[in-house]
Amino acid sequence: MTGKESIEIAQQRAMDRTDQEIITKTIEEGVETAWDRFALQQPQCGFGQLGVCCNNCAMGPCRIDPFGGKTSRGVCGADVDTIVARNLLDDLCVGAAAHSDHGREVVEVLLETAEGKAQGYQITDVEKLTVLAKEYGIKTDGRDPKDVAKDLAIGILEEFGTVKNRLQLSERAPEPTREIWKKAGVMPRSIDREIVEAMHRIHMGVDADYVNILLHAMRTSLSDGWGGSMAATECSDILFGTPTPITSITNLATLSKDKVNIVLHGHNPLLSQIIVNTAEDAELKRLAEEKGAKGINLVGMCCTGNELLMRSGIPIAGSFLDQELAIATGAVEAMIVDYQCIFPSVPATASCYHTKVITTSSKAKIIGASYMEFNPENAVDTAKSIIKLAIENFPNRNPDRVRIPERPMKLMAGFSEETIRKALGGSYKALIDAIVAGTIKGCVGIVGCNNPRIKQDYGHITLAKELIKRNILVVETGCSAIACGKAGLLVPEAASLAGEGLASVCKLLGIPPVLHMGSCVDCSRILVLAANIAKELGVGIGDLPIGGAAPEWYSQKAVSIGTYFVSSGVYTVLGIPPKIFGSSNVLNLLADGLKGITNSAFAVEPDPVKAADLLEAEINRKRKALNI
Amino acid sequence: MKTIYVRQERCVGCRHCEVACAIEHSHGKSLLSAIHEETKSNPRIFVEVIDNYQKFPNRCRHCDPAPCMQVCPTGSLHRDENTGSVLVDYLKCIGCAVCAMACPFGIIQFRKVPGLELSREVNAKCDNCIGRLEEGQIPACAEACKTSALEFGEVNDLIRVARTDFTTRIITSRGAETEVPVIPENIKAFQAVMEKLATLS
Repeated sequence: MTGKESIEIAQQRAMDRTDQEIITKTIEEGVETAWDRFALQQPQCGFGQLGVCCNNCAMGPCRIDPFGGKTSRGVCGADVDTIVARNLLDDLCVGAAAHSDHGREVVEVLLETAEGKAQGYQITDVEKLTVLAKEYGIKTDGRDPKDVAKDLAIGILEEFGTVKNRLQLSERAPEPTREIWKKAGVMPRSIDREIVEAMHRIHMGVDADYVNILLHAMRTSLSDGWGGSMAATECSDILFGTPTPITSITNLATLSKDKVNIVLHGHNPLLSQIIVNTAEDAELKRLAEEKGAKGINLVGMCCTGNELLMRSGIPIAGSFLDQELAIATGAVEAMIVDYQCIFPSVPATASCYHTKVITTSSKAKIIGASYMEFNPENAVDTAKSIIKLAIENFPNRNPDRVRIPERPMKLMAGFSEETIRKALGGSYKALIDAIVAGTIKGCVGIVGCNNPRIKQDYGHITLAKELIKRNILVVETGCSAIACGKAGLLVPEAASLAGEGLASVCKLLGIPPVLHMGSCVDCSRILVLAANIAKELGVGIGDLPIGGAAPEWYSQKAVSIGTYFVSSGVYTVLGIPPKIFGSSNVLNLLADGLKGITNSAFAVEPDPVKAADLLEAEINRKRKALNI
Repeated sequence: MKTIYVRQERCVGCRHCEVACAIEHSHGKSLLSAIHEETKSNPRIFVEVIDNYQKFPNRCRHCDPAPCMQVCPTGSLHRDENTGSVLVDYLKCIGCAVCAMACPFGIIQFRKVPGLELSREVNAKCDNCIGRLEEGQIPACAEACKTSALEFGEVNDLIRVARTDFTTRIITSRGAETEVPVIPENIKAFQAVMEKLATLS
């Protein structure tokens, strides 16, 4: 392949200049990436894509003829609606479990911190601790924050398998929204229970009614958004601080030519934040210099990166599809991973260079990686050992194989719900006034991943640009936020790309038109934001002129997020079709039937410009209903 | 004349035909034994995809006259008169690949053949499942296809279905539900979404 051809392929695969440069390098050096594997997997099985393949029991696998042929039922007798709905619930459960189990670990560390058993952790945000304690009916006056934190942690942990059948944080939702949940029978009862019950219902011979299955899917997603994910966000804030606006840099140019590069990849900040705190250690800095490096350069990746960026301003090298590219720069001494969205092939990619991959969670080991188990009791010691290992690998870097792109992009992050509210003067009145006046038409949350089905970041960036042009404020989490960061949309100067109304508000407040609200569990921050605005207006979330979008999603977690958005009343546009097209009934219910229940629905639209049209139309519909 | 008729628009790309073909041409003829055989059995049918996610299961058409037969210098390629299948005498094949150059469909592959005491690679193209045909069964690929993208039968009968469908569309401006089931709306919607996704800049 000629150099020109490699460059052309790279331009088809990704939007970002630094990504394109390193994709070209992977092609030149024959290093396999997700794009190559995606091409090798074509054609992908249509039964699977349509959701009509059932591999649940040993009478199968069965598949339904999507064209209406003879095979209209599985061996057990399940029809296409049952199979598609069950598969969707299965996917959603995996996503909800991933978020919530992440949340559980954060709450457990909060408990150990309160008990003085965790090394290097402290109660950082006492204000937030107090707010949560009050919600849980825990006394705070005159008490040691550690005692309060202990009661709170136990209170939240109890909700994973509760017998009280009630999730405290779900009471943050406005009353009209909770009323809808009650009426539909989808009020979440506990975090683990909904997931276990879903697994039960998926078993052969249990739930065969697709409507009933989908209602439980909604309930399970709510136990994630208003339960597990929210617990993850809130307890991370208590431990490490609630994010406030912070400036940093992004893209692959954040890697350093002369320092020890450590990439912190995954989702949970528990270990990585300790690594950030420990990297300042003088002894480690000295060791780095001894090994010929000018220091230690920590960069984030994916949502672990988002967590560190928001709270400590750690540069973020990229999102989901950047994990192999970071290694392919040839400049990464170590990639530390916790869990979720880590390609199982990362050690194979790393073996093409000197990079060491270090797994740290007992739940997420990869053959070919070094395993250094993280435990809160000795987190600082583990962090030190990991950084040392990376430093000692620095002399193995081969300068002939290093290529680090130039010019990182500036970005601003850290827009927690509390920060936005405080910036507006303690209430949402100013924002509501701007929305009523039409200066800002509404708000859309763009979230989710990358997917090699679509040019990396194209969906996120194009949709965000389209919306802000139409005076719609954009809030983002996850890979979406990183995509717009790389594209230069997360800086106050990007207000010049916004419509006149939105631009004037951004200039007044000195904020970007696209707000980085955090990691993917921090989609819960978007829920709280929407809930608080709705409460000030005395309406449900479903009445607000807002929307959601996941233009490039791939993960089951996105299925859960999309569903808790829609179940909470937020119309949500997906850029990648979910595996439900095999069933007209399921499709119609999610795209249309739900409107009568939650005043929201799903839509599928790969073209981000058309997705913006759909979202704008929905916002106008809701504005009209509110008489504004 | 019996043939495999391909209804491309019904192919979902599951590649089940490829798996069934490889099993049928393995030594043990079962899925679990086939995956462990030393000489791996390869599919002789190919589900090709182009960039708008349209698929086509491409396989030997058993042409008559067959260009491959006409150019084969050793007479390795020959026709079974009962079934019309174009077959390969593996022992006579010299691997010159002239047949592949003549094939209008590009479906000839040179492989080691399982169960054959031959160390060289020979023309291992589709044999129309001749053994199955002789036992009154249909080819493995057509049997495996659960969407009727591959149908085995009298060629004129299969063509008539397509013709009736076309005629009905012309006259009534609608699909011919009785003969060829129309593509359901939900599947059409899916195909449209995937095509859009594939053509996004």
